[in-house]
Amino acid sequence: MMAEKKKTTTKKTDAKKEAPAKQVAKKQASPAATQQKPSIGVFICHCGTNIAGSMDIPAVQEYAKTLPNVGYVDNYKYMCSMPGQAVINKAIKDNKLTGVVVAACSPRLHEPTFRTATKEGGLNPFRFEMANIREQNSWVHMHDHDGSTEKAKDAVRIAVAKAALLQDLFPKTVPVERAAMVVGAGVAGMQAALDLAAAGIKTYLIESTPSIGGRMSQLDKTFPTLDCSQCILTPKMVDVGRAELIDLMTYSEVDAVEGYIGNFDVTIRKKARGVLSMAEAETKGIVGGGCNGCGDCEAPCPVIKPNEFEVGMKPRKAIYINHPQVVPLLYTIDFNACIKCGLCVTACGEKKAIDLEAKDEFVTVKVGTVILATGFDIFPIEKKEEWGYKRFENVITSLEFERLICASGPTGGYPVRPSDGERPKKIAFVLCAGSRDNTGVGKPYCSRFCCMYSLKHAHQIIEKIPGCLPIIFYMDIRSFGKMYEEFYYRIQDEGTRFIRGRVANILEDPKTKNLHVFADDTLLNRPVDVEVDLVVLAAAVQPMADTDRTRKLFGVSCTGDGWLQEAHPKLNPCGTTTAGVFLAGVCQGPKDVPDTVASAEGAASAASIPIHKGEVELEPYFATCIEERCAGCGMCVNLCPYTALALVEKDGRTVMEVTEAKCKGCGTCGGFCPGGAIWMNHFATPQIVAQIDAFLLGGGE
Amino acid sequence: MSESKFKFAFYLGCIAPNRYPGCESASIKAMKKLGVDLVPLKGASCCPAPGAFGSIDLNVFYAMAARNLVLAEQMKMDIALLCNGCYKSIWEVNHKLKHNQDLRDGVNEVLKEIDMEYKGTINVYHTAELLYNDKFIGVEKVRASVTTPLTGARIAVHYGCHLTKPHKDREFEKDVMLNTEHPVWMEELVAALGATPVEYRNKMQCCGAGGGVRGYDIVHALDIANEKLINLKEVGVDALTDICPFCQLQFDRGQIEIKEKFGVSYDLPVLHYAELLGLAQGMSPQDLGLDLHGISCESFLQKVL
Repeated sequence: MMAEKKKTTTKKTDAKKEAPAKQVAKKQASPAATQQKPSIGVFICHCGTNIAGSMDIPAVQEYAKTLPNVGYVDNYKYMCSMPGQAVINKAIKDNKLTGVVVAACSPRLHEPTFRTATKEGGLNPFRFEMANIREQNSWVHMHDHDGSTEKAKDAVRIAVAKAALLQDLFPKTVPVERAAMVVGAGVAGMQAALDLAAAGIKTYLIESTPSIGGRMSQLDKTFPTLDCSQCILTPKMVDVGRAELIDLMTYSEVDAVEGYIGNFDVTIRKKARGVLSMAEAETKGIVGGGCNGCGDCEAPCPVIKPNEFEVGMKPRKAIYINHPQVVPLLYTIDFNACIKCGLCVTACGEKKAIDLEAKDEFVTVKVGTVILATGFDIFPIEKKEEWGYKRFENVITSLEFERLICASGPTGGYPVRPSDGERPKKIAFVLCAGSRDNTGVGKPYCSRFCCMYSLKHAHQIIEKIPGCLPIIFYMDIRSFGKMYEEFYYRIQDEGTRFIRGRVANILEDPKTKNLHVFADDTLLNRPVDVEVDLVVLAAAVQPMADTDRTRKLFGVSCTGDGWLQEAHPKLNPCGTTTAGVFLAGVCQGPKDVPDTVASAEGAASAASIPIHKGEVELEPYFATCIEERCAGCGMCVNLCPYTALALVEKDGRTVMEVTEAKCKGCGTCGGFCPGGAIWMNHFATPQIVAQIDAFLLGGGE
Repeated sequence: MSESKFKFAFYLGCIAPNRYPGCESASIKAMKKLGVDLVPLKGASCCPAPGAFGSIDLNVFYAMAARNLVLAEQMKMDIALLCNGCYKSIWEVNHKLKHNQDLRDGVNEVLKEIDMEYKGTINVYHTAELLYNDKFIGVEKVRASVTTPLTGARIAVHYGCHLTKPHKDREFEKDVMLNTEHPVWMEELVAALGATPVEYRNKMQCCGAGGGVRGYDIVHALDIANEKLINLKEVGVDALTDICPFCQLQFDRGQIEIKEKFGVSYDLPVLHYAELLGLAQGMSPQDLGLDLHGISCESFLQKVL
């Protein structure tokens, strides 16, 4: 660095040579740009001791004074506080500043704060530039006082260089379509849709399976209140089916997405169901026809398949409903299994609800905002081979157990051993099965609700099977929610045995099909070998298999483990980095039912705001075409990931045109354009070159 | 017979040539029929034993293993070996030396005294890996080479520990070989010989011999082997097969010691997979040195021959 700084004088002339070209570009892009000599104010934040504790703030301040175009320098203990913002406000007015640099934290945290302060001082808010000297400096170089001071000087110098070239920008507003879409109709999606509809917003609720209800409808009881899951969920399902403003599309998937906040055009694939609803029948002129859910078609169907809702433990036909409470009450044909024998058509008779030649249909709807509520799946726990799932008959997952203990499940609510149908007398529950697993096979995160539902399962066993002993193998019991710890005490008192130790291995007795569960009891400091007749693995949860496809359609990021990424984990948990797209429920990360519903209501509230405002401001970071330089080659059009660019005829020439609302300002086109004809607002080539020069040349041009 | 497609420097180790010479002869002859030449790695020393040496002085451990590797480098051949313990020492040291410059410099400092230098130019394979991986041989070719199918024989597999564990320190071209908890690829090889592979309780348990346990505390070592023998008796098998002469020693001689110390006898024949393969390809029990086993293989031979 230091050696390069010395080159400043020699390089100066080169930099000057390029200056005229830059000027041309600037004038083209923004005729309104004032050509007043820049005067930049630099404000250095202590952030208490977060920054000041790791560097020499007075030294940075003295250095800033020596930089070209700097008209004012100050520091303050908390720049983001009201007095701190007042310092900026006053300095702009007193010193006739043309731009503001705040050296503080990450722009993700306080850029909006300081933009507002800049605006209140009388400048265009985009005349503000932030130098991050906290997250990228004091926090990572906490014990290198001199080094972090030097790095802060670099950061300030770079920010000043850009600030001197910043221009006034004006956000565009676009109208917002008064409709929303919710993808996924589990409890999260249903709650979000009900809230949106209640707020007067037309809502399209898209569900890929034949019925709404999601995972919660598969559960028997919910912790810690022990109320019946179906009893509390079914009314909501019925409400969703009835709500006038909810357009429910089951057995449907998002196929394509175009547009941006306020104006998403979403194409839905309505998968071939083979059964007409009564409304559909009416539009086809079949009077009084369509599926009324009578089930006459099901009996003669000769094809038997596993019922997914019962985790494969019950059969269904090729024409089926998964359980009696489905909403909508409408049969579905599994065309992968159907042999098209036509027996169901005969059975359906005059209702004429069945169409064996049905094809997928596509509909496109326009919505202003979107909520993703795609939920979760169970980690394939057979990958943890030491526990023998799918190898030992009497090792099952918690979701399977949930169906076995459920009154409407395959065994009428009385669990049996899969190997012999006998009632179990000793059941082991293995917690953290694939969760909190750093072996690389399972998931590193905590799945958050397994402790609680396993406690609930233990309670249900004691309640339903007299003399049966539940044994819970655990690492920690994470009973964090309201009334959860009390529930844990209750289960302890009821006689469930707790062994603190991760299960190392499960072996099957080949004759009895009983299982030996091996673990280290870490409280008694000894290895244990417990023989049980049923093992329930509280398998980790993971995102649904098609989450990745869905998120890419909407341009939403995910974390390394596949969960969809919120805009900010604490302060914007429902938003995403794509404006107008929000997250609800477990697709964002493991949540129990209360947290899922809370997040759904949060997402519904957030998604309704732009719709109620009626218009949204778009960040003015879009590309603009400098038409004099554009050769109309069209390379940028193909490169644009957002289909924001097009070639148009103007004054007899072919030039590129930007649809500003679609452009996300990614810069792909601007970086590529061979003629330098694309000006990226706020990230323009001269601004970026000035930053690079400032860094490499140590304060020169 | 056609020209062999692959040539490997054949590292014998200690137990195979001294206790179970059948493993050695069967490996060379059977692999030859499958298009793989095993060329003797002359001048090789002990691998050295990972437990006995590795837990006392790592510098000696690395240097001795590196010397064996250099001998093969000089032959310009990859190493093939037939013992899990040797695999741990030689494969792992080769892997570490390839990726750790400091370690390599240290080892070369020692090797300089005997005018050798480790260069990291070869790979190390277990013969079981060569048999399973169709890049070299593969199950189908093994099946095709069988002239005396071991039909009707119920055979259990003991995988041993060091070939696949520790999982995080192993790399195999065949993903199924990375399975440490319930692998079944050896069962495929057993089935290829016409025999019936048999699953049993706690298949992946250690034989009890490794890590110096057999040398240090024979009663505990035998106790572990005894537990496996109980589990094998439970399902009833005609023979146990292994891919490690040290495991084989533990189960074969170990049965005699278990009889002496615990008073139980199993009389379960224990054969290295190479010996099984040799039998299935028509080699005689005498050629395979099966009469040198501690536990008579007669009951098994009567069943299959």
